[in-house]
Amino acid sequence: MLLTLLSHQWKANYRSSVFQKSVALNIIMGLLILYFGTIFLVLGFTLGNILGKVAPGQSAVALFNGALLFYFLIDLFFRFLMQELPVLAVQPYLHLPIRKSRMVHFVLLKSVPSMFNLVFLLIFIPFMFREVIPAYGTGAALAWLFAILALTLLNNFLLIYFKRLLSIKPILTLLFGLAVAGLLLLNYLEVFSLFAVSQVVFGAMMEMSWLAAVPVLLLLGAYLLNYQYLIAHTYPEELAVREKTNVEGKGIAFLSRFGELGKLIELELKLMWRHKRPKSMLMMSVFFIFYGLLFYPNDTYLDGFAWLIFVGIMLTGMPMFNYGQFVPSWQSGHFDALLTRRISPYQFYAAKFWIFVPVALLAYLVTLPYGFFGYKIILVNTATLLFNIGVNVFVIFFFSVYNTSRLDLSKGSAFNWQGVGASRFVMMLPMMLLPVLIYLPFKFFGVPYMGIAAIGLVGLIGFVFQKQLLQWSANWFLKHKYKLATGFRQE
Amino acid sequence: MIEVKNIEKSYSGKVVVNIPELTVTAGEAVGLVGNNGAGKTTLFRMILDLIRPSKGKVYSKGLNVAQSEDWKEYTGSHLDEGFLIDYLTTEEYFKFIGDLHGLTDGDITERLLPFMDLFNDEILNQRKYIRDFSKGNQKKIGIAAAVLSNPELLILDEPFANLDPSSQIRLKNLLRNLREHKRMTMLISSHDLSHVIEVCERIMILEKGQLVQDMQTNENTLRELETYFTV
Repeated sequence: MLLTLLSHQWKANYRSSVFQKSVALNIIMGLLILYFGTIFLVLGFTLGNILGKVAPGQSAVALFNGALLFYFLIDLFFRFLMQELPVLAVQPYLHLPIRKSRMVHFVLLKSVPSMFNLVFLLIFIPFMFREVIPAYGTGAALAWLFAILALTLLNNFLLIYFKRLLSIKPILTLLFGLAVAGLLLLNYLEVFSLFAVSQVVFGAMMEMSWLAAVPVLLLLGAYLLNYQYLIAHTYPEELAVREKTNVEGKGIAFLSRFGELGKLIELELKLMWRHKRPKSMLMMSVFFIFYGLLFYPNDTYLDGFAWLIFVGIMLTGMPMFNYGQFVPSWQSGHFDALLTRRISPYQFYAAKFWIFVPVALLAYLVTLPYGFFGYKIILVNTATLLFNIGVNVFVIFFFSVYNTSRLDLSKGSAFNWQGVGASRFVMMLPMMLLPVLIYLPFKFFGVPYMGIAAIGLVGLIGFVFQKQLLQWSANWFLKHKYKLATGFRQE
Repeated sequence: MIEVKNIEKSYSGKVVVNIPELTVTAGEAVGLVGNNGAGKTTLFRMILDLIRPSKGKVYSKGLNVAQSEDWKEYTGSHLDEGFLIDYLTTEEYFKFIGDLHGLTDGDITERLLPFMDLFNDEILNQRKYIRDFSKGNQKKIGIAAAVLSNPELLILDEPFANLDPSSQIRLKNLLRNLREHKRMTMLISSHDLSHVIEVCERIMILEKGQLVQDMQTNENTLRELETYFTV
């Protein structure tokens, strides 16, 4: 029976239009998996040496054990942000003679073979072979790995449980989050050392292998907790994560001053706020603010300009790119309505434009503190901001007419490839390359600062001629609207 | 009001709609009947410029709908749920439509008054999004939104489907009132032969994309239609 359900799931995935349509996307995904997989594997094999260099004289395994608890806590946090709740569309099965317990087991077990649970084995297993087995013997090493695996799955089931409770008993989830944060805080305040605790706990497991049974028991407990909860709530209405709250229809008074344009902007903001996908996309954009930390502290990046331009475009433009890649698919659910109502394509695009400009400006202001790493950053980011709102906006609009697949707004955006077309990847190229191309000749003639000014100037010119460019975007859209409408009508 | 000239739509060589000539004069109510796949919705979509015809043109008040957007000012339409902005509440949606046509809140309330019977206290002040309404209630919202702008031309695709019997009768009376008092031109497709006959004075039968019959309604129409559709 479980196998039948599994085959249904497989068919649902395999036959979904996303999977079948975009071979290119699957190839890109495959390459990404291969890339990160290789990185993790290499890391797993070399971690012993790296740790030996960082802290010479100490046992690599002891250091690794000390970090494990941190790893599990951070793992929980990332799962909370990104992991989706496993759901089987149970509705079609409920009226059939299938035992509920089987379905619940299926839904739960389905979450095990996920990337979150498996990818880090690529680090743990090579590390075990290189470091743990030579030092402690095979039996202890296997117990150690077994414990880690059990704890990973414990994380998996704990998270699923608390994330599910989030919509029903948010207090419990909040308490759980506070407990995790409290542990990290206590460690920070040096009340006790998580590092030492972690070392003792995992060290003990290597000494006394039977202790590995403890995490397994915890795992069983978490599994049962989930099981009890789900078996009591197998009604589709209760399984659905959507909260049934009373909604208040509120307008944004400030926007009504801008007439029809303000109306459209308000509508778009409501769209963002009332759907899961745009909301989670906004959350991810917020995290992207920290992208600069990868580059700016490193002097090699600060010396030249090309990298700074790249980072500047990303920092001031990321929220815009994230949202813009699905223009106008966001409206795919009611696209026919927009076409038959008194809304001109010009207004439609002008509304998007006036959402993007303040957002880019906000991203620019929020990332201004990076200026502490060097005044150059502020110069470059100002130029890239202008370029984003004067040129890249219209690059987005140009590519927008190729987004002909319907977008499902009710799913989260992490690892969600539904509605993602190849145009999205092509779109990034001109947005990244154009400013660098503008800059290069100036660099060649030894006046790099003029190059930065030129990027800003080109952006400014685009911004000044926004009316004409928007009109052009609207006409471009009109040429493609039938194709878009047809694409969006296909579920 | 509406002139269809030599229109044809084909998908990969298969003709789904082919209508050489069709004229609807202002104030006329036209009922479109036909089995599934006859091309009713496709024809409506071409009239609303949602699908590009393979051949031919549609004129609304003499202007090609694919080139001018003037028809949007005086045309109200509801074909399916895709016409609703489903993440708004009903009130927000009506307000949005009203704003597009420069209506005040008072205007909207007044224009919705005739719908109160049809709404049956299930539509307004529900504190939920349109996507959470039932199909039937979504249909009522869509029809009300289409009528809200007081359009000269109203296009509805199967307005009676998904409605309960009382709602069907109320909607039928409502549409007849709109005809009599506002002289609204109507294009209505329906599978319910008796309702569509009561609302429309002209009935057209569409079969496999062809217009096979075009007749004025009289006391024998229902029987003729039933004979036609009896296989």
